[in-house]
Amino acid sequence: MRLISRLSLTARLTLFFASVSCAVLLALGWVIGASIEHHFEKLDQDALTGKLMLAQHVIERVTTPQDLERLSDQLSDAIVGHHDLIFHIVGPKKEILLSSSDLKFPEERLQAGSVSTDAQMFSWEMEGNSYRGLAAAIQTSIPNGAPLLVAVAVDIGHHTAFMHTFMRTLWLFVVCAALTTGLFGWFAVRRGLAPLLTMRERAALVTAHRLDHRLPVDAVPAELADLANSLNEMLARLEDAFQRLTEFSSDIAHELRTPVNNLMTQTQVSLSRARDAASYRDILESNAEEFERLARMIADMLLLAKAENGLVVPHRENVSVAAEVTALFDYYDAVAQDKGLHFCLEGEAHVGADRLMLRRAIGNLLSNAVRHASAKTNVRVTVKEASGGVEIQVENTGDAIATEHLERIFDRFFRADPSRQHSNEGTGLGLPITKSIVLAHGGKIAAASDGELTRFTLWLPRVFL
Amino acid sequence: MFGDWEKMKILIVEDEPKAGDYLRQGLTEAGFIADLADNGIDGLHLALTGHFDLLVLDVMLPGLNGWQVLESLRKSVKDMPVLFLTARDHVEDRVKGLELGADDYLVKPFAFSEFLARVRSLLRRGKTSLEPTAMRIADLELDLLRRRVTRAGKRIDLTAKEFALLELLLRRQGEVLPRSMIASQVWDMNFDSDTNVIDVAMRRLRAKVDDEFESKLIRTVRGMGYVLEVPDCV
Repeated sequence: MRLISRLSLTARLTLFFASVSCAVLLALGWVIGASIEHHFEKLDQDALTGKLMLAQHVIERVTTPQDLERLSDQLSDAIVGHHDLIFHIVGPKKEILLSSSDLKFPEERLQAGSVSTDAQMFSWEMEGNSYRGLAAAIQTSIPNGAPLLVAVAVDIGHHTAFMHTFMRTLWLFVVCAALTTGLFGWFAVRRGLAPLLTMRERAALVTAHRLDHRLPVDAVPAELADLANSLNEMLARLEDAFQRLTEFSSDIAHELRTPVNNLMTQTQVSLSRARDAASYRDILESNAEEFERLARMIADMLLLAKAENGLVVPHRENVSVAAEVTALFDYYDAVAQDKGLHFCLEGEAHVGADRLMLRRAIGNLLSNAVRHASAKTNVRVTVKEASGGVEIQVENTGDAIATEHLERIFDRFFRADPSRQHSNEGTGLGLPITKSIVLAHGGKIAAASDGELTRFTLWLPRVFL
Repeated sequence: MFGDWEKMKILIVEDEPKAGDYLRQGLTEAGFIADLADNGIDGLHLALTGHFDLLVLDVMLPGLNGWQVLESLRKSVKDMPVLFLTARDHVEDRVKGLELGADDYLVKPFAFSEFLARVRSLLRRGKTSLEPTAMRIADLELDLLRRRVTRAGKRIDLTAKEFALLELLLRRQGEVLPRSMIASQVWDMNFDSDTNVIDVAMRRLRAKVDDEFESKLIRTVRGMGYVLEVPDCV
């Protein structure tokens, strides 16, 4: 089985074609052979029966034992022109009345029966020749006379010879046909599988740098189109993942470059000449702040990397969303008061979720809302049950987010205003983290901005515990 | 305020020389007696013979790794608190460490103030002291039963969270508390979020507790966190 499964498709199909045509031709040959054989038998039977009937006709006219002696001559006339026909007539006293050749009939087959068209023929071989014969007991018209045993036979050597030739030709033909079919099959398969070859060649073009190659779907047969489609989808997924990985790496490099550059410059400038203790202290403190931001960024990026690889698995418990939001309101209370913001919470729902993650996800949304809200406005959180899950909306009033930015707002390190990159606003990974937490829970998230109102809508499947 | 920690012996097992030296220096300057081993075999030997109060253990070590050290240690020494340091933040790593008998863990990179706070928590653990009903520093008094704060005899009104924040600072007076720890202890926010939230909350607390008074008790340690202490004479 292993060997067969390792064979190439071409070899398999070629073998298959050859054996099928072999089998079909053999069966056909057998049928033809059998019919010819049968036909020959029928011819022989007719001929032999005819001769027997002729003999019967002659014999029935024998009325006296003298007639019996002349029988030979009369019958000889009947068999003139039938050189291959052998007559054998045995009298009542086992005396041979007529024998047209030296041929010996097998004794046991000389059974007496009446002349009929369906009498059993028999065949035997003698001195390398084959014969087929028919025997019958024929009553003479001599009163009280015993019947004569009449046997006729025909040399069927030419039949056998014909069958031999036929079978040999047939075998030769079958072998040739198998080879030819195999050869044609091989060509046909090669041609038929040519699209596979094309696919293979296209697939060989796909490398880490050229993931945009796709397999031809329109140019391949229907059977392969599905395969090509599946492979193309796989390629698309790979390309997407690879793209994200590449972006992630360059994001990291880009985001780390600025703080590392700051640290390096600052440290080297301070080292360039002697300073007093207070200056050193100031530099170290500034460095410490920068380092802390770097550490946080690394932690956040690791979390995102894990989430993208499906390694963030929520430990679900029954969580009251309102309780979490209230706790977060408490946390952001001081900042909100500073800006004259007012928090309000509407509704309540329970959801099966990882409490810490959920808190972090909503916390990031709330932090974002507080940061972007105009002074003395409301930040509203609405919790309600919706389509088999829980919907949490976080709204704030402030500057509108441009439509082209809305799509990218969940991208890593995306900031609508690039100049604010290094204000003390966190790592720019808050919303992406929220999104990955939501996705890890099987939920979805969307942002909408309508005039001054910015609304984040987060939906989580309820998941009963 | 470091008096409490005098003569507390801490063993650091860390193979990276820079990290090990700085941890030792930091702990020594914080008033502890700190020893350093740079491989697992020496570390285990020292831990078994040196009568330490706390073990700080790096996971990746030459010789014996941190887990093996911990496993061998726990066979004979049950009660020495162990703080794990790891560079890999995998849940399995944490679970494995805790199962083997570690008491706490920190993922690198960590803030030194966070490290110091954890060390002190571990050393404090198990020392049952009566829960105080009132705490004080200088002229600031905290009545835990009535949840009332006075300074120089003057009543100060605080919100519940401000009270909790002040209580934390007072319980750990003299210790620099990192922002992440404050967020975790006071608000139960166990993730690094924007730290300016803590700064704003702290500013509001200071406005009530310190602004009107000559001596400022709450001090910002730049790059590290906040500390409540009686200021040095200026």
